[in-house]
Amino acid sequence: MAQLTLVQAINDALKTEMRQDERVLVLGEDVGVDGGVFRATEGLLDEFGPDRVIDTPLAESGIVGTAIGMAVYGLRPVAEIQFDGFMPPAFDQIVSHAARIRWRSRGRYHVPLVIRAPYGGGIRALEHHSESPEAYYAHTPGLKVVIPSSPYEAKGLLIASIRDPDPVIFLEPKKIYRAFREEVPEEDYAIPLGKARVARDGEDVTIIAWGSMTRTVLQAAEEAQEQYGISVEVIDLRTLVPLDFEMISESVQKTGRAVVVQEAPRTCGFASEVTALLNERLLLQLEAPVVRVTGFDAAIPYLRMEEYYLPDVGRVVRGIRQAVSF
Amino acid sequence: MAQLTLVQAINDALKTEMRQDERVLVLGEDVGVDGGVFRATEGLLDEFGPDRVIDTPLAESGIVGTAIGMAVYGLRPVAEIQFDGFMPPAFDQIVSHAARIRWRSRGRYHVPLVIRAPYGGGIRALEHHSESPEAYYAHTPGLKVVIPSSPYEAKGLLIASIRDPDPVIFLEPKKIYRAFREEVPEDDYVVPLGQAKVLKEGSDVSVISWGYMARVSLEAVEQAEREGIHAEVIDLRTLSPLDIETVIESVAKTGRCVIAQESPLTCSFGAELMALVNDKALLYLKAPLVRVSGFDTTIPLYRLEEYYVPDAFRVLRGIRKAMQF
Repeated sequence: MAQLTLVQAINDALKTEMRQDERVLVLGEDVGVDGGVFRATEGLLDEFGPDRVIDTPLAESGIVGTAIGMAVYGLRPVAEIQFDGFMPPAFDQIVSHAARIRWRSRGRYHVPLVIRAPYGGGIRALEHHSESPEAYYAHTPGLKVVIPSSPYEAKGLLIASIRDPDPVIFLEPKKIYRAFREEVPEEDYAIPLGKARVARDGEDVTIIAWGSMTRTVLQAAEEAQEQYGISVEVIDLRTLVPLDFEMISESVQKTGRAVVVQEAPRTCGFASEVTALLNERLLLQLEAPVVRVTGFDAAIPYLRMEEYYLPDVGRVVRGIRQAVSF
Repeated sequence: MAQLTLVQAINDALKTEMRQDERVLVLGEDVGVDGGVFRATEGLLDEFGPDRVIDTPLAESGIVGTAIGMAVYGLRPVAEIQFDGFMPPAFDQIVSHAARIRWRSRGRYHVPLVIRAPYGGGIRALEHHSESPEAYYAHTPGLKVVIPSSPYEAKGLLIASIRDPDPVIFLEPKKIYRAFREEVPEDDYVVPLGQAKVLKEGSDVSVISWGYMARVSLEAVEQAEREGIHAEVIDLRTLSPLDIETVIESVAKTGRCVIAQESPLTCSFGAELMALVNDKALLYLKAPLVRVSGFDTTIPLYRLEEYYVPDAFRVLRGIRKAMQF
């Protein structure tokens, strides 16, 4: 097995699927000659040629619109939007068309399309390069939303997303594109969509996270154990839609306390939905209010202030202590 | 005072503000010669002329983009998007620009822009004509989200929105554009943004809603009353800024809460309300909060619409569920 970074695992997943399925192709800004701004598509043009690795104009709406047509026709396009903050120009194609074609045609057509985008803050970038838009897509019926938290996860989830018959928004936490390496099998494997994983076992409190926050949360769990003797269970959702609420439920029934951590702005974020579900279904098991540790209701700031916006280990530990001390 | 429908009250608000403030103008598809598809802008072109009542091409992104420029320049544009389902083409202009210019310029520029759109289901329309997209905009920092539930509210809230220094998404529940009339003062008045309204007082359960659902909730609560349940009904009026104090005060009193909304369920504004009640009033709760909501599917075409949009019976069932826990 190879030791890969997350972005290498993405590259590996794309190569793996493109080799065994001729219908798979990639398109996006700079994905061909340049190999992607983060090098996620490096080497693809050489191996698969310009018919399957397509450099597009800077027109996100065109990228997604074209990809929808390809997908309905029978191909398996993987469209790259260069940054999370460039997804809004494609919003209409995504929510008004990709998400609805199965519904609109009463199941006669479907859209096996993956839209990949580097996601979230943490690389000290400029405006429109650090957004966490998952709630927009989770609120849109007809879309799946997948966010890996490690290289192994990234490869298996991307392969599953490409094979999925419906549109998947695949958000890649750019902060951990190269933060660490992990053993990633060379052969193909899929991590089924809709299954969360327990990233750490614990007894006192459950933390629910996704993407790069999973790593922050694992560090916070370690610190909470060492400094305060709090045993923290960590659930990495992996996919927000479909949501594995059973796993959350099982864990919170055991611990009675929950903390949900997200980078995105707070109001109407996905953490609100998880909190709502816990209240709806597990009110009597809750020993404390569910704590949300989130970004703020402001656009994510530029590089100098970014670290105050994104939840860090200290803020997550405070959230843990708030839940435990209630 | 005149007895007006909601859409007439919108028209009245626009005329009132355009008469007293030359900076106010409207632009959008068919707002001029046709007076708007719902007649919300009827008579404006005749009174204010083509410089202030602008028929645009069918290009929502262009409408909002142009209006942002006007607003930053010092005008007070009111842009109409013809239907809720036509807002996504303008999404980038709204969330990437209108919502951020104050922030981006560190307060040096601001965007006094109102984006009006007929909103929600209930008129048996075709696709892209019945959406409830409020959660997208409530999740976007820098926007205000206002949804009136009656003619009186509509006029006062729209005037307040036009005078607001920041961008306001103003969603008009088209199902009740002409459903009933109400006394609406002829002079100008504002209903301040960020203040909810208790439509009916009660002690057993709080029903929280906005827009058309506020009317449905009132109907449901009337039926609940016959079953001996005294429900309180809160009309949020503005989702951003949210008057959470009024909600919490009510839930602390009743201990039970039902939220009624038209939009899809997951990650909706109802979820945010539940999360906030969890934060601030968990120990008051005698029962889990109940969401009576649209479903996690696109709102269906007209034959099935009535199964999707909550009606009084579904809200009543929600109330019973909260009471029986």
